[in-house]
Amino acid sequence: MDTIEEIERLEKVIGQLQAAHSEITVLAKKSPSDMLNSFKLKMINKVLQSSNEVLGKKYKPFDDFKQFEEDELPSNSDVTMVLAQYMEEAERYRSDNVITARGHWYYLVNGKVSEIRSGPPSKVGRK
Amino acid sequence: MIIRPRFTEYNDVFIPQHDLDFAIPFLNEDIPLFVDPFLIWKSPSLADKGIHQMILAAFNNLGTLVRDGKFDEAVNQLITASECDEVGLGNSATRHGKRIGEKCAKDVLSLFQGIPYYMENGFRHFEEIQLFVDDIGKDRVSDIACNFMKSFLIDYTHQECTELGIAMRIGIVGSVFNHSERKFENVQAELPVHPETEKPLLLVPKRWLRHVPWINYDSYFRDHCPQDDIAHEGGKLDKVKVLTYNRENYGLIDSFVKEKERTVDDCECDPLFTQIPIISARRKFAQIRKLPTGKDEGADIKYERSVGELLPSLLYPFLDFAQEQARTDDGVSIRDLIFYNSRNHDFLKEIMDDYGSRQITFEIKNVEKINRTHVDQLNRYLQDDLGKFGVFITRNPLKKAELKRTINLWSGQRKSIVTLTDADIGQMVEVFDSKQRHPIDLLIRSYVLFRRQCP
Repeated sequence: MDTIEEIERLEKVIGQLQAAHSEITVLAKKSPSDMLNSFKLKMINKVLQSSNEVLGKKYKPFDDFKQFEEDELPSNSDVTMVLAQYMEEAERYRSDNVITARGHWYYLVNGKVSEIRSGPPSKVGRK
Repeated sequence: MIIRPRFTEYNDVFIPQHDLDFAIPFLNEDIPLFVDPFLIWKSPSLADKGIHQMILAAFNNLGTLVRDGKFDEAVNQLITASECDEVGLGNSATRHGKRIGEKCAKDVLSLFQGIPYYMENGFRHFEEIQLFVDDIGKDRVSDIACNFMKSFLIDYTHQECTELGIAMRIGIVGSVFNHSERKFENVQAELPVHPETEKPLLLVPKRWLRHVPWINYDSYFRDHCPQDDIAHEGGKLDKVKVLTYNRENYGLIDSFVKEKERTVDDCECDPLFTQIPIISARRKFAQIRKLPTGKDEGADIKYERSVGELLPSLLYPFLDFAQEQARTDDGVSIRDLIFYNSRNHDFLKEIMDDYGSRQITFEIKNVEKINRTHVDQLNRYLQDDLGKFGVFITRNPLKKAELKRTINLWSGQRKSIVTLTDADIGQMVEVFDSKQRHPIDLLIRSYVLFRRQCP
């Protein structure tokens, strides 16, 4: 990562993806084939849009998917599946950019350890 | 040719029944509902109560005529009042009914002579005549009410048609009761007319309509009639016996009517269309899922019936259901489900503008896979007022070859044939329950996905 702002943006989308995912998972467990109303879908699309910007080409989960089409009426389970993919990629992005120092995990900015603490990568040693 | 033409579509008004104050009449048949004078009486509106008073005054005037020795005039008035073809309510398949006979009219009028309460006070609810005279049913009660308030109905119809911009013509309306002169007369009025018979049409507010009047014989017989007193054990209990008993025991009728007045809160108008409850929508879909494809054990009929019951509810209020198994004039081809296109949704408007669909046809096919002949068959239907938009309701998605065929139809003739499968119907039921979307969105999705594949 190049700047502190990038870290902030990444943390914001991770939070949004997690919140949206946990909300929609509840709906999907109740009725997987039910659909989101247009308001919820619009919000999900906004989250996906900012995720796409933050993740960039390298970490974007699907080349040909940007966000949901309003007309296609995705079901709850469709949305959970896509959100899960984005969460995984966001986590991979974060994991690639943290390093352990002084007994804690810190973000890397321009290849150097920053002052911003982070959690351990979800899968240590994956890369 | 429109299947089961309605007054509004014929006049280029595309508003669904749900959004209109009056019951939309059919042009070739009656609406199977009746005006219940009790609903007019019950209405909180003073205008409605006033109308009820006028109807009663006109009816009780018959008693006055009888008392004054003008029996023949009373008979003639009652016979005139007994049928009102202009409103098109009832069970007739032809919009044309018969008046009561002289004997029946005399029977009704004899109540003013034979029952002391009516002699002195007249009627509070003239529907009570059903409890004394055979051959007087809900249709007569409704027609008598309509005839005695015809003057109001003329004004109401004129007002509604002016608002909707429906063409009207000046003509003569027969049998309009003049409340000042207390007699029937013909009046000149500007009203919409039936396109074929050119007779005037009258509209009725839907808030006054019920399948059965609140005061009716069946309810009396079931809950209030002392059946043991009328026919002793082993004796035959027929309607005539009950009616005769009622004439001699007015107190019973009085208490029955009072009870009906007490329970007035339960008296509601019957809607012209009721959506099935969510639980039965789910049950219907479960039945559909279990059905095998093909015709074994009448699976195709069961499938058509279940879909036929499900879809009108799912698509309400955007699409008003017109007819199941609609036949063409020659009776050869049958379209499975027809809806009026009310154009009150952007998508429906687009369907009308792009494909000229005044009505939308749904073809139900309980087959493993749609084949070429099915596509050709639906293609043949898509003409005239049915427009160039049709829907297959079937079990599985179209195979590649048939899908290609529908795409070619769009390319060559700009006809759209979209498909709703079991999965789509399932999702429609799901959103019907969750209310997150309207089930019509699923139809739109099928259309959008189809159009994306078109060149």
